[in-house]
Amino acid sequence: MALLEVKNLGISFGGLRAVDEFSVSIEKGELYGLIGPNGAGKTTVFNMLTGVYKPSNGVIMLDGQNITGKSTIEINRAGIARTFQNIRLFKAMSVLDNVKVGLHNHYKYSTAEGVFRMPRFFFTEKEMDKKAMELLSVFELDSKADFLASNLPYGDQRKLEIARALATQPKLLLLDEPAAGMNPNETAELMNTIRFVRDNFDMTVLLIEHDMSLVSGICEKLSVLNFGQLLCEGNTFDVLKNPEVITAYLGD
Amino acid sequence: MGFLNNLINGISLGSIYAVIALGYTLVYGIAKMLNFAHGDIIMVGGYVIFYSMTSFQINPYISVLLAVIACTVLGIVIEKIAYKPLRQATSLSVLITAIGVSYFLQNSALLLFGEKPVNFTSVVNIPSISLFDGQIVITGETIVAIIISILIVVGLSLFIKKTKSGRAMLAVSEDKDAAQLMGININRTISLTFAIGAGLAAIAGALLCSAYPTLQNTTGAMPGIKAFVAAVFGGIGSVPGAMIGGILIGVIEILGRAYISPQLSDAIVFAVLILVLIVKPTGLLGKKIREKV
Amino acid sequence: MSNKATLAKAKMLKPQTKQSFTTYIMVIAAFVIMMVLSSTGNVSSQIEGLLVPLCVYSILAVSLNLTVGILGELSLGQAGFMCVGAYASALFSIATNESITVAWIRFPLAILVGGICAAVFGILIGIPVLRLRGDYLAIVTLAFGEIIKNVFAALYVGIDSNGLHIALNQADMNLAEDGTEIIRGALGVKGVPQDSTFVIGFVLLMITLIISYNFINSRTGRAVKAIRDNAIAAESVGLNITKYKLITFALTAFLAGLAGALYSHNYATLQAAKFDYNMSILILVFVVLGGIGNIRGSVIAAIVLTLLPEVLRSINNYRMLIYSIVLIVMMICTSNEKARNLIISVFNWLKDQIIKLKNMIIKPKTKEVK
Repeated sequence: MALLEVKNLGISFGGLRAVDEFSVSIEKGELYGLIGPNGAGKTTVFNMLTGVYKPSNGVIMLDGQNITGKSTIEINRAGIARTFQNIRLFKAMSVLDNVKVGLHNHYKYSTAEGVFRMPRFFFTEKEMDKKAMELLSVFELDSKADFLASNLPYGDQRKLEIARALATQPKLLLLDEPAAGMNPNETAELMNTIRFVRDNFDMTVLLIEHDMSLVSGICEKLSVLNFGQLLCEGNTFDVLKNPEVITAYLGD
Repeated sequence: MGFLNNLINGISLGSIYAVIALGYTLVYGIAKMLNFAHGDIIMVGGYVIFYSMTSFQINPYISVLLAVIACTVLGIVIEKIAYKPLRQATSLSVLITAIGVSYFLQNSALLLFGEKPVNFTSVVNIPSISLFDGQIVITGETIVAIIISILIVVGLSLFIKKTKSGRAMLAVSEDKDAAQLMGININRTISLTFAIGAGLAAIAGALLCSAYPTLQNTTGAMPGIKAFVAAVFGGIGSVPGAMIGGILIGVIEILGRAYISPQLSDAIVFAVLILVLIVKPTGLLGKKIREKV
Repeated sequence: MSNKATLAKAKMLKPQTKQSFTTYIMVIAAFVIMMVLSSTGNVSSQIEGLLVPLCVYSILAVSLNLTVGILGELSLGQAGFMCVGAYASALFSIATNESITVAWIRFPLAILVGGICAAVFGILIGIPVLRLRGDYLAIVTLAFGEIIKNVFAALYVGIDSNGLHIALNQADMNLAEDGTEIIRGALGVKGVPQDSTFVIGFVLLMITLIISYNFINSRTGRAVKAIRDNAIAAESVGLNITKYKLITFALTAFLAGLAGALYSHNYATLQAAKFDYNMSILILVFVVLGGIGNIRGSVIAAIVLTLLPEVLRSINNYRMLIYSIVLIVMMICTSNEKARNLIISVFNWLKDQIIKLKNMIIKPKTKEVK
């Protein structure tokens, strides 16, 4: 059975049908791309998958569990983590703390144990530091652990967002335009990182991207959205050759 | 008959709250900020009328007009100096600034006019109406307050629907970025909103001080906050909502004062706010706002 | 890698620990100096009378900073929570005055009662409001403060052989001959034992500081800061926003309740009118001037701004006007780059002028320039 099984997902804002009858099936360990022109509804799909928007119809199954219409928090706990198109870091916090917030639900001690500095506080914090530094070193951010998140260069901010999402120990990672604003070198590096994450964390990745070098470089399968509807899907190579897709991107 | 009298007084006070609440609702709808200083502009309007009538012997109606002009200018100046630099700031910073402006107005007035309340002469010279052998008395102030508030609500609704500037205000309140892309001048629209709000506050000042004829530096603060409660009650951002909310809050306050406890009337009004926010946070006529992700 | 990790961790923890310990040492030093000065008779009675209020205001400022600086929400009800703490602890002390005769047992209990009652109110207010937009919290806490003040000012409570009597005016209480009035409406509570001392105030301030710093630098505090920085991202990593907002808000109320207890046991009578909107704003001024999110700054601002008007009586009339301007200027400068640069350039200009002036003074026969 597929890890993510989406059937006939749709949502309307007022009279506008933003996404209609969207279906996708992603196998465990796949690197899947969601592409389409601006305004096609890609981020809206992400927002429905993560519970930011409640879909008006359709079903979302994650690992056999129905998560349709659940809250963002419940969905994160069920195993979906994401990054955002316009980076949303905890800007006034350190790089390390950003990742430690991601670890929040997996390393626990109570507020009282924290305030009164009980043994579990010291023990758990130490474990969290260790785990967070491990994650940061994957993204080569460990040397910048005590920087303020807002002081990181743009590319590092995108990487930190991925690290924070991974810290929540998801089954499925959603990346919303991870290469936006990166130069070709940074993009190439990012591609390696995403592959590394998939291989070493046993991760399934669904990403939205406009950078075709990244899409064709790492995605194994693609779905193309146009005007809120699925235009086509399949292997990356086939989809990118599809004349309909080329028309949708370049116009007539 | 006592109940009817209280009800009339409530509607009279409520009409004044409605005029103040309109200012809150417009500014909140368009600039997305809670303008704490709005209530204190009422006080400034009151002092302008008072000094123009006593020191310069100017006709009451012209005094009110002067107050409207003075407050409109004040509203625009406050927006330009204190709020405009904070367009990109967090709502926390904007709120604290607004509280600062409110305190600035109150304490400037304290230093300029002293802390002793002055006796305000009513600007209304319509005689009271007595019904049922004087058992029910409707004062001229009440009649004027109700008529003026209805005129303002109707006028403002027409202004927003029919004029270009009004529609620009509507567009900015819906989506600032989209409105800007459509060629609407955001800064000018926000300035206009503050100007209208402050002008209305001056009229509210004239009505409030005529009905309750003492004036001091804190005169506007409490009615201002209660009018905000009225705006929330009616649904923030809605013009008719402000009117309905205003009247309801006025009636609740007066009835609470008469039948429950005079000391607790303010507490009752605020308890209504908390209740509304629990039961229907968008108010009677408000809309839900969706945040973009 | 683990070696590198521990190294970086050591680097991480340092600034936080250093920050809190500097504050503790500063407060302890100030306390010791005041105690020495006071025991050698070098403190005027005017300052002596301010020692407990200084602790009260510092605690209030630190606790409000948790909500304003760490949670990023505005509360205007600090005086309301303080009022709850003041009344609850005062009533506890009066009720147990005869059964617990030892003040050093009774007073800590009274303080705890004050704190817990305030925290309960914090939770009751927080539940409906904290899920709404931030501005509503400000207006509801303001409303709450006014409700509390008005209710206590309207309340008459008395006790006699028939039990407790609660009414909205004196006559309705129907107290028997042997009865005593506890709360007398606007006149408030009389006969609160004056248990507050500078030493207890200092201890409470230290407890407040330790709780606050430990809270901020813990798992919960981290979650709260994350919610402040970006609520949508915080939700996306599975944080329950309402829960953490509520915890912070309740903690702020609890600490304000402690301050209220300290305050009410410092004077013989207690009146609700003291806990008005202006008090809440005053505490907010301390927080903003000390730096939003800066705990040490809150203590310094509370102390300086409480002492200054007492020392310089002449500025007392202009005090609130100056505060209001400070609020506006601080906010504009922290949020607007242009304004910040303008202020910096004004400062630089002033510096240049001072240097010029210095040069002129060194030369003879030049008039002083204003």
